[in-house]
Amino acid sequence: MKNDLLGLIFAQNPEVSMGELLAKRSLAAVPFGGRYRIIDFMLSNMVNSAIINVGITTPYNYQSLTDHLGTGKAWDMDRKNNGLFILPPIETGDSADKGQEGIDVIHGVKRYLTRSQQNYVLVADCNTLCNIDFDDVFKFHLEQGADITMIYHRIPEIAQRELKRHILLDTGENGRITDIHVYPAQQKTDMSYMHMFIIRKDLLMELIDDAFAHGKHSLAKDIFLPNLDRLNFCGYEHTGVHLKIDDIKSFFNANLAILEKETRDELFGLKNGMSIYTKVKDTVPTKYGKKAEVSNSIVADGCVIEGTVKNCILFRGVHVGKGAFLENCIVMQNSQIMDNCMMANVIFDKEVILRTGKKLIGQDTYPMIIGKGTVV
Amino acid sequence: MKTKRCVAMILAGGQGSRLGILTKNVAKPAVPFGGKYRIIDFPLSNCTHSGIDTVGVLTQYQPLELNTYIAGGQSWDLDRGSGGVYVLPPYTSAEKGEWYKGTANAIYQNLGFIAQFNPQYVVILSGDHIYKMDYNKMVKQHEKAGADATIAVIEVPWEEASRFGIMNTDEEMNIVEFEEKPKNPKSNLASMGVYCFSWKVLEKYLTEDEKNPNSDNDFGKNIIPAMLQDGRKLIAHRFDGYWKDVGTVQSLWEANMELLDDNPGCQINDKEWRIYSKTPVKPPHYIAPEATLRNCYITEGCEISGEIDHSVIFEGVTVCEGAKIEDSIVMSGAVIGNNALVYKAIIGPGVTVGEGAIIGSADDSARKDFVNTTICTADITLIGADVTIGEGVKVAVNSMVTEDMQ
Repeated sequence: MKNDLLGLIFAQNPEVSMGELLAKRSLAAVPFGGRYRIIDFMLSNMVNSAIINVGITTPYNYQSLTDHLGTGKAWDMDRKNNGLFILPPIETGDSADKGQEGIDVIHGVKRYLTRSQQNYVLVADCNTLCNIDFDDVFKFHLEQGADITMIYHRIPEIAQRELKRHILLDTGENGRITDIHVYPAQQKTDMSYMHMFIIRKDLLMELIDDAFAHGKHSLAKDIFLPNLDRLNFCGYEHTGVHLKIDDIKSFFNANLAILEKETRDELFGLKNGMSIYTKVKDTVPTKYGKKAEVSNSIVADGCVIEGTVKNCILFRGVHVGKGAFLENCIVMQNSQIMDNCMMANVIFDKEVILRTGKKLIGQDTYPMIIGKGTVV
Repeated sequence: MKTKRCVAMILAGGQGSRLGILTKNVAKPAVPFGGKYRIIDFPLSNCTHSGIDTVGVLTQYQPLELNTYIAGGQSWDLDRGSGGVYVLPPYTSAEKGEWYKGTANAIYQNLGFIAQFNPQYVVILSGDHIYKMDYNKMVKQHEKAGADATIAVIEVPWEEASRFGIMNTDEEMNIVEFEEKPKNPKSNLASMGVYCFSWKVLEKYLTEDEKNPNSDNDFGKNIIPAMLQDGRKLIAHRFDGYWKDVGTVQSLWEANMELLDDNPGCQINDKEWRIYSKTPVKPPHYIAPEATLRNCYITEGCEISGEIDHSVIFEGVTVCEGAKIEDSIVMSGAVIGNNALVYKAIIGPGVTVGEGAIIGSADDSARKDFVNTTICTADITLIGADVTIGEGVKVAVNSMVTEDMQ
């Protein structure tokens, strides 16, 4: 049976700031977890939920993302009908400005939505990493007779300074959402919206058209809030792992979080068979040298490790020289750490070279970032 | 008709009986190698890098896993609209149906396949060697010399020459004589089982050979001698890279261990000549705080909490705390339990080694149920696919375990 739900993923998010990591790539293309890009999680979740039509909106900076996605082959999305659609801003005729919010982005891809066969749309940000079966959410949506189903998870206590990054929900009987607090000053509920919702396609287009015509931009403030009384909003709780990446600190912590076995097993679908797919690189297995000392680390293929590595995430093709010492570091693809270097709490973007004997120390609360291709 | 310059045919039907239990359910070319490869990845990747985009893989013995593995050829970039990779099993026709009788007969039965592409040259490869070779160089030499057939040769140590098919050549590398396993070799140039034929010549000789009821239908025994007898131009193409037959348990083990050398003969970490393989969908591997690693290869999906020294670990292997693995090859999905010890062993895919078990034990009290010194030479112990070794069981050195041991 063909799935009546299509996926629409935002490759950018104007509320995210990740400095150098976003200088040359979209949020969706930020490397994560040794061999992945952020987009792999949302896209794989959709594929694993039998969604066969996925559009990815790419308002700007999308070259590295399109390179990563290709025809969608790695996700089994290279299809004759449906499949993967990369949606640059060509349909609006203008080059999109960087602050574009949800309403403008969706308005820009109206033609894709109209032409798709599916009658329901799952709209999702790409930067919450989780392993979720959208088929269950879709069934819930239909059973509840909901107009809009918003996915949330519970966070009992949100730190005061974090609150301004959350959208909190109030629910009444039958899980119906009664109120929405957008970036509140006080925490009144523990239900935090995960920026994923399901809606009927014609209703979405109607709401978007109306909001766009009134010069509105924000999905939460200008579509959800004003329609709370008129439409049936339902909340669907996701209980598992969720790693939201919206700044350097959360990016750093989300990477280190997969050092926990339970987080890793769930996120990568090792128990339920919902694997996370990514572009294949055909790298060799990782070689550990005679003096390697490695503990509590995630290491991708193609690395050569001759030094000491503790609590690190090493991406494909990383070299760690003899006598080098790494702790709490995230080292992206093909970076080289030469002999006798020492680094802690550092994020290396791709292809960074750290020359022999250099020291780089960041703070665990404020990791240091070295941009792509830098030679230190 | 559109023509292809070159079509490659890979002989992948062999059983490889000297690999024992490793080829119980899979053909030799599908045997795993080097942490994430299978033997056939080498000739297939060589074809891709040599610009040969039309490849026939001749299967016969236990083809199921090989068929699934090759699938549409995506992994080697051989899913092409024109050409691509084709699995060619024996088939029946209106007149008769038969198994592949020999290497030459296997190609003979697929002359129709080759003819569809009407190539200038046909490259014939065996699916049981580890090597990286640019076949295009051989085809160019063949073309330049105007040869009828070109045979790739490699220098082998003189004392081993009598184990190979030896080519005796003149100064211009024209082959004057071919001797299969000669007692007193006159040359140390061994045939690698890699041939390039001009298509029309190959078609003629295979057709004639098929008519001869006394023929073994073998390239080495029949086709090459017949061509030499007719005074055809046969030349030797000298190859001087790494080439290793992995037809025995010992040579397979050695070839894996050689990858761990400081300067390995076979550089698999070569960005210009990557060996492609079907990559499983697994996260990167995890090394726990208790783990100790020395000179080893580890790939995706592993969870390592034990000690690994001089070993090759395939994808999705779990090595529990206190376990120790030395000089071994552990294939995909195996689980090595707490405090288990594995010495100089090949652990097949999906094997479970129970807590405290010892594989390759030289102790007198070790279980000798499966000792097999014909297949398992050089103190290597072999555990077959999906076998479970119970808690505390000691498996004697040189065993080939085919059933669960409790």
